[in-house]
Order: sequence, then structure tokens, then C-alpha cells
Amino acid sequence: MSSFDDELRGALRRVEPPPGFAERVLARVAAERARPGWRAHLRRVFGPAPLRLAAVAALALVIVAGVGYERHARGEEAKRQVLLALRITARQLQAAERGVQRLNARQREPKETIR
Amino acid sequence: MKRIITVLTLATVSLWAGPQDIKFPASLEKLADKAEEVTDITLDANTLGFASSFLSDKTKDEKAAKDLVKGLKGIYIRSYEFEEEGAYSMADLGEIRSQLKPPEWVSIVSVRSKKDGENTQIYLKKQEGKIVGLTILAAEPTELTIVHIVGSIKPEDLAKLGGNFGIPNISMGPAGDNWDDF
Repeated sequence: MSSFDDELRGALRRVEPPPGFAERVLARVAAERARPGWRAHLRRVFGPAPLRLAAVAALALVIVAGVGYERHARGEEAKRQVLLALRITARQLQAAERGVQRLNARQREPKETIR
Repeated sequence: MKRIITVLTLATVSLWAGPQDIKFPASLEKLADKAEEVTDITLDANTLGFASSFLSDKTKDEKAAKDLVKGLKGIYIRSYEFEEEGAYSMADLGEIRSQLKPPEWVSIVSVRSKKDGENTQIYLKKQEGKIVGLTILAAEPTELTIVHIVGSIKPEDLAKLGGNFGIPNISMGPAGDNWDDF
């Protein structure tokens, strides 16, 4: 036999795994399967279902209250502007009426006679 | 210190656009720069409707306001208060006046007082005997106010403005909707 054959045989010879290798592989696979998923992770972070529901309800309440408050604030501001606009209009109409009354009164005054 | 009160609209319409019948000239913006106090109100129909839902029937002022804004499509006010006389000229109102022409617009009141330097003009826009617009141009030595109201206005509603909002009673023309003889 040639030395090449010997080298090839040597390279392809069967090597036995170290003792306990198969047990370790199987144990790792089992551990991977037992690891919790993202849902379980979330569950662990946010607690049990009733608590999660309460948190969601509280968040929804805060959002609804925020939107309601913002709407109310806008409405109050719009109301304030309307009242201010009508107050300005009323003041100008009244000033005009006063002016007309003044002119009327002046016209009614008896004119002085020239002697 | 220069004090400027600017009341900004909640509406999304731009300053010079919208359903208003007359357009405020850009020169008014220059007056705003000179003014000590500026009141700028732009309320379109949507904002008026929205505000109306917040007006209560319980107080006299708010009830009167609620009745009045019912038929309105817009309220536009520009008011400028200056520190000194001569900050504006009557030419600043010329561009507005030129839009208030008959037969659409009718001048119902024109008061000019040389003594007080006051000059007030009230214009009405009528359609089929009903008021559908009101414009007030009020010029005082240190104050200039332009009020432009668009929409259906009843004379009795205008009269209601007096006696409310801290303003004494106003006698506004004939009762009813017909202002043809006015």
C-alpha cells in the first residue's frame, strides 16, 4: 500500500465523541425548547391579565380625557373670541348711534336769530 | 413696552381667504406693526358653530351671542390702537370702502365728528330685503376698527347687542326683517 492510502485512511478514521457528548446535546435542545417566547416575556414584564387590562383601560382613559380636554379648551377659546367679537361690534354700533343722536340733537337746537 | 394682543383664529383658513365678502388689504398688516394694541379675530362658519356649542343659555350675554351667531357664516375683526394720532390715514380704509359699493352694499350710517375726530360708517348688505352682511368702519384719532360680519342678521339680534356685553341699549332701525325702507 502506498503512503497516500495510509494518510487517507488515517484522515477518515472514525473518532469517538467524548464521553457524555450526546447527553449534553440533548440537554441543550430541551433547554432551548423550554425557554419562554416573547408573549411569555411580555407577560412577565406587564404582569397577569387583569393587571394588563387595567393598564390598557387606564391608558385609554388618559387618551380620551386628553382629547376631551383639548376639545374643551379649543371650544372655550372659540367662545371667548365670539364674545369679544360681539362686544367690539356692539361697542361700535353704540358709538355710531351716539353720534347720530348727537347730530339729531344739534339739528333740533333753535338757531340764533340775527338782529 | 409695546403691548400686542393678538387673538388668533382656530380656523384653518388663511388670513385673507375665506367666505368673507370683502377682502382686508395687505396695508392693514403694516398698521399692525405700528399699533400699540392689535385685535385680530377671524371666525369662520365652522368655528362659530363649534363656539356656539360652548355658549350657554344660562347667562344673558351668552344666550344673546348664541342667538346671533346662529345664522352667521363669519365674523372678521381688525382693531388697532395707536399710541399717537396720525398713525393711519383714511386711505388705509379706501381699499375696503371701494368694495362696499351699491347695489350690494348700502351705507346706512355715516357719522363724522370734526370735534372728536371720529368717523364711523355702517354698511349693510341686503338680499331680498334681508340683511346678509354688516360692515363697520370706525376711525378715531388713535383707534381704527373694522368689523365685517357675513351671514343672516336680524335687526332685532343687532339690537340685542345693546343691553348685553356691558353695552347700553341700541335702537337699530325697524323691527322685523324688512329693511327696504330703511
